[in-house]
Amino acid sequence: MTRHYDVIVIGGGHNGLVNAAYLAKAGKKVLALERRHVLGGAAVTEEIIPGFLFSECSYVVSLLRPEIIRELDLPRHGLEILPLDGTFTPMPNGNHLWRMNDHARTQREIRRHSRVDAEAYDEFSKMMTPMCRFVKPLLSMIPPDPTTLKPGDLKQLHFLMQRFRSLSSEERYTLIQLMTMSAADFLDQWFETDVLKATMSASGIIGTFLGIRSPGTAYVLLHHYMGEIDGAFRSWGFSRGGTGAISNAIADAAREASVEIRTQAGVAKILVKNGRTRGVALQSGEEIFANVVSSSVDPHLTFEKFLDPSELPGDFLESVRRYKFRGSSGKVNLALDGLPDFKCLPGPGAHLRGAISISPSIEYMERAYDDAKYGNFSRKPYIDIVIPSLTDPSVAPPGKHVMSCFVQYAPYKLAKGTWDEQREAFGDAVINAIAEHAPNIKKIITGRQILTPLDLEREFGLTQGNIFQGELSLEQLFFLRPVPGWAYYRTPIDNLYMCGSATHPGGGIMGAPGRIASQVILKDWKKSSRSRGSKN
Amino acid sequence: MPIGQRVALIGGGHNALITAFYLAKGGFKPLVLERREMIGGGAITEEFHPGFHASTLSHTIGPLRADIARDLEFHKLDCEILRPDPRVFAPAPDGKSLLFYNDHARTAAEIARHSEKDAAKYTQFAETLDHFFSVIGELVAITPPAIDSPSPEDFWNLFKAGRSVRSLGKHGIFDLLRWGPMAVADFVSEFFETHMLRAVIAARGIFGTALGPWSAGSTAVLLLRAAADSHPVGSAAFPRGGLGSLTRALADAARKAGVEIRTNAEVQHIRVKDGAVVGLVLADGEEIGVHAVASGVDPKRTFFNLLDPTQLDPTFALRIRNFRAAGTVAKVHLALGGLPVFTALDPIEGFLNSLSGRIHIGPEIDYLERAFDASKYGEFSSAPYLDVTIPTLLDPSLAPEGKHILSACVQFAPFKLAGASADGKTIFKSESNWDARRKDLGDTVVKTLAEYAPNLPSLIEHMQVITPHDLETIYGLTGGHIFHGELALDQLFTMRPVLDWARYKTPIRGLYLCGSGTHPGNGLTGASGANAAREIIRDLR
Repeated sequence: MTRHYDVIVIGGGHNGLVNAAYLAKAGKKVLALERRHVLGGAAVTEEIIPGFLFSECSYVVSLLRPEIIRELDLPRHGLEILPLDGTFTPMPNGNHLWRMNDHARTQREIRRHSRVDAEAYDEFSKMMTPMCRFVKPLLSMIPPDPTTLKPGDLKQLHFLMQRFRSLSSEERYTLIQLMTMSAADFLDQWFETDVLKATMSASGIIGTFLGIRSPGTAYVLLHHYMGEIDGAFRSWGFSRGGTGAISNAIADAAREASVEIRTQAGVAKILVKNGRTRGVALQSGEEIFANVVSSSVDPHLTFEKFLDPSELPGDFLESVRRYKFRGSSGKVNLALDGLPDFKCLPGPGAHLRGAISISPSIEYMERAYDDAKYGNFSRKPYIDIVIPSLTDPSVAPPGKHVMSCFVQYAPYKLAKGTWDEQREAFGDAVINAIAEHAPNIKKIITGRQILTPLDLEREFGLTQGNIFQGELSLEQLFFLRPVPGWAYYRTPIDNLYMCGSATHPGGGIMGAPGRIASQVILKDWKKSSRSRGSKN
Repeated sequence: MPIGQRVALIGGGHNALITAFYLAKGGFKPLVLERREMIGGGAITEEFHPGFHASTLSHTIGPLRADIARDLEFHKLDCEILRPDPRVFAPAPDGKSLLFYNDHARTAAEIARHSEKDAAKYTQFAETLDHFFSVIGELVAITPPAIDSPSPEDFWNLFKAGRSVRSLGKHGIFDLLRWGPMAVADFVSEFFETHMLRAVIAARGIFGTALGPWSAGSTAVLLLRAAADSHPVGSAAFPRGGLGSLTRALADAARKAGVEIRTNAEVQHIRVKDGAVVGLVLADGEEIGVHAVASGVDPKRTFFNLLDPTQLDPTFALRIRNFRAAGTVAKVHLALGGLPVFTALDPIEGFLNSLSGRIHIGPEIDYLERAFDASKYGEFSSAPYLDVTIPTLLDPSLAPEGKHILSACVQFAPFKLAGASADGKTIFKSESNWDARRKDLGDTVVKTLAEYAPNLPSLIEHMQVITPHDLETIYGLTGGHIFHGELALDQLFTMRPVLDWARYKTPIRGLYLCGSGTHPGNGLTGASGANAAREIIRDLR
């Protein structure tokens, strides 16, 4: 018996599920296929150590599009976002920087370091708001093709130009800088306090193989600055029950819209006949047919693994091969018996409830990058730590804690040895770096999970361990993402689409690629059924 | 029409001389004021040791943009351009080497010794740059458009530029968009597999900048340089008599067109009244009344040293302050008793010819990147990237008979150098730390070169080291930046030097910029000077 669907979605990550949900809501018969035994892709929560729920990969949320929360009614499906308040940066000299969501308190805190910077911080926030406002609509639009003279694309380009021209001179100046400068150079213009610049610039390197002094990182800074929860700009949060709960809520919404979801159903091949997709073959050998296949996995898997090179045009394949993944980060998840005790601010307190950033100076960040350039993991890495169990006690046994450490840099390609050999040494380096600020950490660890870029690739299907399914560098953004000429969710194979983070607007738990792709699929569907209708 | 107006030019560098030339042709009375005893700015020849004459700063030409050379009737001027072939010799420590000839096929044959694949790609790469040469060349020649109220000419320029961009085809346009923001290390590895080949070509993307080959945006610099000379390794030509001959010839052409040139005339102050330039005050107190001033010196010096800061709009002043201009290049000259013997060069017939162009020291991308790394922390590279010439091979007149000169651009040498304070504890970065490290830098360069030419140390009769600090104090380059300001995506085209003021005009009426700190600012091509002249003439008429 062969089964036939309207659409098969490959990958049960948040983008795949969003894509499936929207298509089903539009009346399509949709099947979503996940290789692993759990849904969520990199937005997943698993009990790795008994009693401890780890948000294994992605650990905070802020970019999830408000329209998706609204349209899929996610709160009704169990989504609850808990606030993550502030960023605490310990310093080796016994001082610290603790930025909070409360702007006035942050300003007072910065004043401890520099009066000038406290004032500049105000100006900075005021300037970043219109910047985010400018970029936000871009996150929900299909990128125009800059090379054609088609009226639709020209109209969009004109729209962008007009929007740019409607900015004030000051805003234009800052926008151009954000699009082209390095995070560190950009912040240098605003602030003098080293630790403030270091910790702020850290969000400019996440998911890239760039240092904070490399041009292009200011954009990534903006990308992360745009967080928005319940309409409040710049706020980051946890999802109750871990990041996987977001995926589960989306899955629930999808099921309600009658999406069929199968786990442990890894795709082996995308079936193609006469340049048109017919369905997929699973690793089990089972073949499933559909009019449309929408792939939320990355271009390497979609085009180089699931398809035969002969099925694709040569120049397209070359572009796909050139697409840069270059994972640069790892993850260390810890089960703790107690709380870390920071030398510079001892004891428990609100500073542990937010993000804890190991980014004490510009030089520290830059040296961490230098190690990675030559194929070593950073001996002293940048670490972004959260302890979600303080906000959401359900993820750890009573009195115990879960600590999530995002680590950069961990280059996928090592100069010496393999990641399987280096895994423990990497974990040790991370814990040592934390212990410099919180010496008790080693005593309270009861279990640890170390995810190297290789693990991210093997376990979560992220090629080369890139958390965004491809570097967020300027040459791989907007109408260039994932590859020039194919930034519109379509592919050279008829009825095969892309809907993952490798498409515009890219990574983070945003859901935008999945949503925009569903619109493109539905639009094409309408067009083709109209033309079929006219032929009949 | 107020023809015959007096326009003063601050600085006697090549851009100012070209601006003056065009202004004179346009009917104005230009007066060039040079602080030093010789004109030339960054294109000069000086005797650094008795009998030894070196091109003090720049040691190769851009070359001049074709239309400028035509307008100057350059071929009639007293300036013979020597064009070495091969252009570049790149030795590796293991004794291998690469030679880059004018002729692409010949270079490809040379590359084939390392990789057949790369040899085939090389000609393709050269053609690609040729295509981009004409497109970017067009952008380099226009005045950046006004964003708020584009003039009909802006629209026409953009239309023309757009048309030439479209001539690249869909692939070409995407390539241009993709390459601009890319790291030059990625760019070259799209074409080549040989490490040395990658390194030599990538070096163009980092020369003179605070970028390593892995810094994003370095490909934009390479493409900009390719708009001056589309040869994959760039220009290697220099005038007989050194770079000073070039500016002397330009000065001759300018004088013939009616320009008055004064040396030892340091401008101390630009006098402004009611937001307009009224005159100049020289260091000796002399006052000169002028209708307009075009400044060939860098933007920071123009606005912060020569003007009363209260006369500047605060937003504009802030932008100029933010204009990044921290140099990374030092220069070392060696007076040699004989020729260095490079181990990578077999002493076959005509082998000396191989050394007559530029010698590239920096055999791998990683080598270049490590050289850059040091500068991020305020140190100079322990194994620097060197761009070397031995000009005496083609022009023996520069040194006593049988002797030679070696001239090396040294990267990376950060303007602010780290040093320990008196208590030995705190490290601080300062430009004044350079005086104590001058000899160290020279020794590092000699040691680096000795790995390729072991007999070099024994030949040295004298060494001159020009630090970034010297570039600022002696030669007037703020921050010691050889391009008057970083060539980076956020400081090019409509953003050079700053957004809203990229059209050679300034907020002060009658004050213009014509130096390398303006668009396009890409080396010794005269493009900034010529573009500025066009705008000044239009504005003053």
